Amino acid sequence: MMEQPQSCCKGAEVLLNLQPSSSVTIQYHPHFGPHDDLILLELDEKFLPDVLYQRVTLRGQPDEDAVLCTKSKTYSVKFVGTSNSVFLVPPADYSTLHENQQDCDGENYKQKVSASIIKVAPGNMELVEVAPRIDKLKLILSENLYGSDEALAMEDLEFTERSRKRLHKWDDLINEVQASDDELKTGLQALSAVEIDGYWRIVDEKYMDVILRMLLHNSVLNDWSLNALIEEKVVSVLESDGFPCKLAYHCLNVYGSRVEETMDGGVWMLDARRVCVHFARRILREGKRKFESFMEEWLRMIPEEMQPSFDMLEGEVLTEKLGVETWVHALSVSSLPSTPAERFSILFKERSKWEWKDLEPYIRDLNVPGLSSEALLLKYTRKSQPRIDAEPVFSAR
Amino acid sequence: MQIQVKCSCGAEKCPEWAIIELQGVVELQPSFQDSFQNLQIGQLCRPSSQENFTFTIGYHELTGTKVALKKPMLVLKKIKYMDVDRSDGGGHDGASSSSTELDVVGVIRHKILFKTRPKALISVKEKPNGADAVARKQSE
Repeated sequence: MMEQPQSCCKGAEVLLNLQPSSSVTIQYHPHFGPHDDLILLELDEKFLPDVLYQRVTLRGQPDEDAVLCTKSKTYSVKFVGTSNSVFLVPPADYSTLHENQQDCDGENYKQKVSASIIKVAPGNMELVEVAPRIDKLKLILSENLYGSDEALAMEDLEFTERSRKRLHKWDDLINEVQASDDELKTGLQALSAVEIDGYWRIVDEKYMDVILRMLLHNSVLNDWSLNALIEEKVVSVLESDGFPCKLAYHCLNVYGSRVEETMDGGVWMLDARRVCVHFARRILREGKRKFESFMEEWLRMIPEEMQPSFDMLEGEVLTEKLGVETWVHALSVSSLPSTPAERFSILFKERSKWEWKDLEPYIRDLNVPGLSSEALLLKYTRKSQPRIDAEPVFSAR
Repeated sequence: MQIQVKCSCGAEKCPEWAIIELQGVVELQPSFQDSFQNLQIGQLCRPSSQENFTFTIGYHELTGTKVALKKPMLVLKKIKYMDVDRSDGGGHDGASSSSTELDVVGVIRHKILFKTRPKALISVKEKPNGADAVARKQSE
């Protein structure tokens, strides 16, 4: 019985504000039904603003599991069923887009305090934070590396039109890669990708080598310090040598960092590690080399100002003993899958037993939300210690 | 493919929905299977100033409480649009163009949860009518 007139007589409102000593009739909504297009999503309070202010999207191809992306994180969307009866009660004015609303004003409902159920929910969706599925980015950008022939053919419109069909703009990447905007940007940075004419490209390593060596050659000729390269000078010299302006800047970005911004432009410093790694990879591109031979050639190639050391190459190069000789070959962590199971599988194919100091650089970048690096090791490796005084080794589970 | 999650009601005006949750299933008597719209299921009462509730379905009475959800839930509505004309260029397949949107139509922060075994009431007015809860149509 109604004690006092209520300002609303129906819907969720009356249910949630039910006063002491009062009751409400529960009934099926006029439009009760399966309503498969109504979905419940459970999420942390902290996400509510992002969702309500329209800052989240669902991303993925039809054949992939959907992920929900905020600006900076990626979440897998999982359905959790329930065996309970979960009755969904909408607010009084809820319309299911059907034209005829029979509601509070209808004859039958004048005095009745009621709440109607629109649907019985089979469960709800929930979010689980996941690592971005970023391996696909490298795959699709590697289909069409930007090389010297394309740089030369820039004026050839037909060439560029044809090849553009397999190129990707930012909006294309968002549609194809299941990652948030921020994670996508980080991924592009990690690949040293560059945006040329609106398309994101990975530059062919051989072409980067040509540009870098031209930059170093000019530094020697003009007596430039590699710690204080003047942006304008570098770019104009490279341009006059036939390299696109964009690529000159890209070279500075890949191998150095801007240390100063002056009135006349930027001042850059080359990063010794990045330059040394580049030359190491170049030498080992054709295959493994004997340690001494490698070191000799490597030291020759590196600019005089730089002090190379072998541990600069951790995560890039591995050594192995064949008989009495030590050989080196390239294995770059950047070429390995980002998912832990696949990463460890490849690492253990490479080598069945790893010491921590060798293994660490190859798993340092693994990111699995909710799993620490210790937990990762526990999950994917078996640790053994041959003797008390020996280093522990990790092998496959 | 990207599906935008929208909130056409506006973030501040997102209406609050409610959930009534019980263990088990409410069954319709066979004669009512096709005409259950507006059918009354039962009476939900709040007897005292506490947040305790009773839900009477047929001659069964459930007792429950109003609980705040540990995590809020959003009610999303999936909307499919058919795009009549779309020229995509860039070599992406211009096959059938329908796009989907998700619209936030409500938020749920509380539910009325009934966890107890139903208590059978024998009322002098009702004749017990089998073991199932019975939905009765309210007649004017």
